[in-house]
Amino acid sequence: MKLRKLCCVAAMIGSLQACIKDAPLNPEADIVTFKVDEKQLTGQVFIDQSKASINLYVTPEALKSGIVPQITITPGATITKTPAGPLTAPASDTLHFDTITGRARQQFIVTAANGASSRTYSVRVVTTGIWQWDFENWVTDEKEKYQYPIEKDSAVLWSSGNPGIAIALTGTPKSPEAYPLRMTTDAYHGKGAAEMQTRAGTALSNLVGIKLFAGSMFLGVFDIANAFGAPLEATQFGQPSRGNVVRFTGYYKYTPGAFYQDREGNKVDGKTDECSLYAVLYTGTKRLDATNIHTSDRVIARATLADGTAKAGWTSFDIPFVYTRKAVAGEQYMLAIVASSSKNGDSYEGAVGSRLVLDSLEIVHE
Amino acid sequence: MNIKLTALCTGMLFTALQLSAQENTTAKTTTGTFKPVLEHRILAGFNFGATAPTSLPNTIRKINSYAPGFCPSLGYELAYRPTQKWGAAIGVKLDYKGMTVKDEVLYFPTIINTEDGGTFTGNFSGKNKTTVRNAYVSIPLSATFTPNEQWRFHLGGYAAWLFSSNFYGNVSDGYIRNGGSTGEKVNITTATFDFGKDMRTFDIGLQGGAERKVGKKLSVMGDLSWGLRPVFPSSFKGMDFPMYNIYLTLGVSYKI
Repeated sequence: MKLRKLCCVAAMIGSLQACIKDAPLNPEADIVTFKVDEKQLTGQVFIDQSKASINLYVTPEALKSGIVPQITITPGATITKTPAGPLTAPASDTLHFDTITGRARQQFIVTAANGASSRTYSVRVVTTGIWQWDFENWVTDEKEKYQYPIEKDSAVLWSSGNPGIAIALTGTPKSPEAYPLRMTTDAYHGKGAAEMQTRAGTALSNLVGIKLFAGSMFLGVFDIANAFGAPLEATQFGQPSRGNVVRFTGYYKYTPGAFYQDREGNKVDGKTDECSLYAVLYTGTKRLDATNIHTSDRVIARATLADGTAKAGWTSFDIPFVYTRKAVAGEQYMLAIVASSSKNGDSYEGAVGSRLVLDSLEIVHE
Repeated sequence: MNIKLTALCTGMLFTALQLSAQENTTAKTTTGTFKPVLEHRILAGFNFGATAPTSLPNTIRKINSYAPGFCPSLGYELAYRPTQKWGAAIGVKLDYKGMTVKDEVLYFPTIINTEDGGTFTGNFSGKNKTTVRNAYVSIPLSATFTPNEQWRFHLGGYAAWLFSSNFYGNVSDGYIRNGGSTGEKVNITTATFDFGKDMRTFDIGLQGGAERKVGKKLSVMGDLSWGLRPVFPSSFKGMDFPMYNIYLTLGVSYKI
């Protein structure tokens, strides 16, 4: 009897193993890595997988001459290069750019091993022309409906936690207002400004103990692959910069939310939320993230807003960079600006409703 | 797992022996002519099996382990035998059906929730652990065939109502493609899923089995029940293939 039963179970497992079919053909079609000669880079390459776009930060010479990238793709997939829209280029290994817009004259089409799916990657060189932002131009992500500011040449320099929050909002109706970073017409200058508002967690995030999402924005990129495994590493701060920064200036407004709450969502009496705003200059081309922006020894200068308390009207700030050592000619630098409507938002503390509005930011160079 | 099974089997055998020892030794009442009889039985046993697809999809790459879990089955059966060999039976049973499976999947379409509040619909590649433990009230209806004193066979169908459902698990050491295979890749250290509430509350299927007398009133029995209705509605997106309740009840029946 006992034996028979054991045999039954064994047979069942055995038969299940026997049922394993041949592996499906790979349906994925990614550009996994995109390498450019280190000498031509001013900042590390960022592959924005959610938009299938590759952002390059290269020297002016490389922009003119073009680059020869080394690309790796999903195993089994195939890659072809085609002219990008009206832009044409000679057929060669070199990828050429339109020197005005920074757009590559060719794009890459990766076709999956199963033949059923493909992705088209566009490439562009992102340059920070003038370190001034008025936050007039915003784009709404088609799928997730969050907004992000773009430059005059439509380059994307600013990022936020919005792409991560998009996932926590799954199953709820999506609109730009649901996200902590969005455009507002309540502007100091022009028609638009950047509005960050700390919001309550979603039904879904509450289940796992996240009761609050702080509004944030930063110069840099958001690495969606790390959004869940290591959220603090997902926020990659910084864009290539010159080393001779002097002051960080701009205008802001801040209204803390009514009740400060701790990580568990309990009201903390006598505590008022504060905003946080700082700029950091550091060496190298690899971005720092939320785990090391405050501690890395690559940081050589900081400009931090000291007063994070309520400011009902537009308030100007002009913060000098404090250097720990001098910038050296020939060294490469990156600069990050990081703003949040709740300064302890990275540990999910703050006040729901805290609202920070930024406008007319500028990094003043020597 | 083997230890658990061994314990179960020993337990059942022990119970069987005890019950048969309690039997009194009244003489067999075999008469020349057969009179129609009504028989009442208490059925007790354990379910072993799986809530599974009838054919594994190619997105399941490897089964690492399987455990049947503790799934008792308890019921009452009323049988009517108008002739010596043929009859019919109807019963009512409380059936736990469940299992725990660990497997590895590739490009597996599903929905998962991550620890910090994310939810994804997409294709997952990595490890998976699924635990199923559902409680049904089922009504089996069978034709019975009693060729001799020792054996009785039955074949029929059943209808079952789910009153407590658990279908949950976790995925780990892998990644998901948000929205589909060309969506962005999000690494998943560990994430959970819980589809208990998505299950259909009504199951219907075929069942059949045999029992053999081991005492005056006691028989050991084996009964295979095979669900014909997928446990998830076709609109459900967490599993893209139909899964059925396929369970073998091993136990005893006691004539009262």
